[in-house]
Amino acid sequence: MKNKFRNVLALAAAGTLALSACSDPGADTGSGGPVDWPAQDADLSGTTLTIWAAQNSNTVPDSVIAGFEELTGAEVEVVTIPDPYEQGVQTKVATGDKPDLAFWQPTASQLTALNASQNLQVLDDAPWLDSYQPELRDMTGLLDDTRYAALITTPAVEGVYYNKEVFEAAGIDPASITDWDSFIETARDFKSEGTTPFYEMAADQWATQWWVQTQLADAAADGLWDRVNSGEEKFTDPTIQGAIDNFKALIDEGLFNEDIKTATFEDQGEALLNGDAAMVMQVNSYFGQLQSLADTDELNQKIGFFPISPSGNVGTFIPDQSNALVAFKTGDEQRESAARQLLSYWMGDGYEEFVNAQSTVSLQEGVETPAGVPDALLSVSESVGSSVGSMQALAIANPDLYIYLADMIQGTKTPVEVAEATQSQFAELAKAQGAEGF
Amino acid sequence: MATNLSLTKGAPRSRRQDHPLWFLIPALAILVVFFFVPTLFNFVYAFTDWSSFKSAINFAGVDNFTSLFSNGTLLNSLKVTLIYAVLVAILQNAFGLGLALLLERDTRVNRAVRVAFFVPVIMSALAVGYIFQALLKPDGALNWILGSLTGAEVTIPWLGSTTWTIVVVAVVHAWKWMGLSMLIYLAGLKTINEDILEAAHLDGASRWTMFRSIRFPLLAPAVTFNVATALLGSMNGFDIVQATTEGGPGGTTEMLNIFIFRTFGQGLFAQATTMSLVLFLMVTILAFPVIRYLRKREDVL
Repeated sequence: MKNKFRNVLALAAAGTLALSACSDPGADTGSGGPVDWPAQDADLSGTTLTIWAAQNSNTVPDSVIAGFEELTGAEVEVVTIPDPYEQGVQTKVATGDKPDLAFWQPTASQLTALNASQNLQVLDDAPWLDSYQPELRDMTGLLDDTRYAALITTPAVEGVYYNKEVFEAAGIDPASITDWDSFIETARDFKSEGTTPFYEMAADQWATQWWVQTQLADAAADGLWDRVNSGEEKFTDPTIQGAIDNFKALIDEGLFNEDIKTATFEDQGEALLNGDAAMVMQVNSYFGQLQSLADTDELNQKIGFFPISPSGNVGTFIPDQSNALVAFKTGDEQRESAARQLLSYWMGDGYEEFVNAQSTVSLQEGVETPAGVPDALLSVSESVGSSVGSMQALAIANPDLYIYLADMIQGTKTPVEVAEATQSQFAELAKAQGAEGF
Repeated sequence: MATNLSLTKGAPRSRRQDHPLWFLIPALAILVVFFFVPTLFNFVYAFTDWSSFKSAINFAGVDNFTSLFSNGTLLNSLKVTLIYAVLVAILQNAFGLGLALLLERDTRVNRAVRVAFFVPVIMSALAVGYIFQALLKPDGALNWILGSLTGAEVTIPWLGSTTWTIVVVAVVHAWKWMGLSMLIYLAGLKTINEDILEAAHLDGASRWTMFRSIRFPLLAPAVTFNVATALLGSMNGFDIVQATTEGGPGGTTEMLNIFIFRTFGQGLFAQATTMSLVLFLMVTILAFPVIRYLRKREDVL
């Protein structure tokens, strides 16, 4: 009798434990948006701020931190979260671990992934917004018309990096490439001369998706991703399926490097620099790779960039984690305010020093871009203003399209299966977000 | 507590009084908090819609299970996991047994060589994976060695075949753990009674007959342990595959744990939990018959 009672009690205790624990440990009883933006030089002695950064962005804030610490007496610590960065951060935040600031991809899908309305500070009336170049101000960092991210550097653009010397040797003028058809025609010309037109890296997978996304630029400008977001149009419908089929056809035609299946990101950098291939479809981090292989003079002499879309020279922008920062709601009001102050300094008095130290393109009208920025990067940033959003920038979820495309290149998926797998994963993610239509 | 107070000096102590149940509480607490509760939650969260996208966690029924099983990726991952586990179990035991037989005699050289083969066991699995990834690259050291032996340029992409890469990765896994199997087989060989071997020798049994009819059957307990740990351990494998192929090429080495990792990273925590529950069930379902069969073999002893 007594034992039975004890068993029941134990069961009941376990049951309540299980039920009460059924709330997200990462949840926060969110307070209202920030009301004040402290002066950039307000005293912060004794305050320590933490910034989470990835392996490729952890030195980006150095100059800003040095200036800020001297100006305010605050201490700023950069914590490197190992790659894959986004997964690491998401998992930590889900279990209730939060920094004051973090590098983060300022796109709707990635802000949703962090549960922005719960976890992030609202930056709607930030003091630096008016100093942005007008076309960049509202380009990204917004979710449901609320600003959660501060753009610090020029967002990445998907486009074509080419070897100027290879073009010259073949007597082809890159300016003659004015739309997708002339782009592919040029590739065929290279092939007939025995030069590898395109170089792709399916072993490292991630760049495979640029080929599909750039083909979708016109459709994206026409609201493709809004229709995908509402479930009205699918990856398996003709527009996106067609782009995938087309990519496969270009590979089958032999326009890519022979070792496409085993080539890596590093191989891709060397191939273009050595002139083994004429063109590479890539984003800004690829140029970072080239910069690690050659100095600015050599790059200016050898490497050029042009954006491409079906109907013209329009780029597809895809801001990444190193382009922006988000500020977390930590529950500690003083540190939240200090985090906002650091952002105001970063985009305010500290911005010129930051742009110079990073040798990067300035986003602000009042701050000059330093002279040492390579030509190709200037071309990239010139294309930002007129570019259209990528899947990552405009879709509510970011499925692993690149993995499925790499599978297609390896031969384990057909183009139809790529679209199906992407669609089913997209639907799964959209459903988890509670999106309508899924 | 009451039982303790009622103890009188000199009275014969029963076992129960010697070991009051409440002594169990510290160990039990650790067991409950770190083992039972997480396992229980693995079950509970699998039936919810827990994700990184919203803070509420709602009951979702068997939704996760139906969507997972209607998706081909899960079944593919299950298949890959099984093939990988079987390959590792075979290779690791073959290598381990071979080494144990080679290094059976207790000479000074053998002792040193045994240590050398045990080193990979205590190395970090990720380090092993990354080292092999570098060795097996098309322009890696292995092809360079092959090239200088044959005099021709060799650029075999060892980790690039959609058919054979899983075997290559299983070899790496088996290579890392073969030292442990070797150690256990060595211990098993030591327990075999010298008299039996001598008797067989006098009867004129050849070395092969002795191994096949006497030594191998008597190694049954070691085989049980080695096969079970290799098979079930490699089903939970992650680190070596992640470091060498990340599940590629073309998803042919995407084991369940890699799929879980990828799903978790997408913010679909409930789905990832569901998959780990599926893995847990699969290991359990496989463990019982395998261990039962292997134990049965020991009955001849």
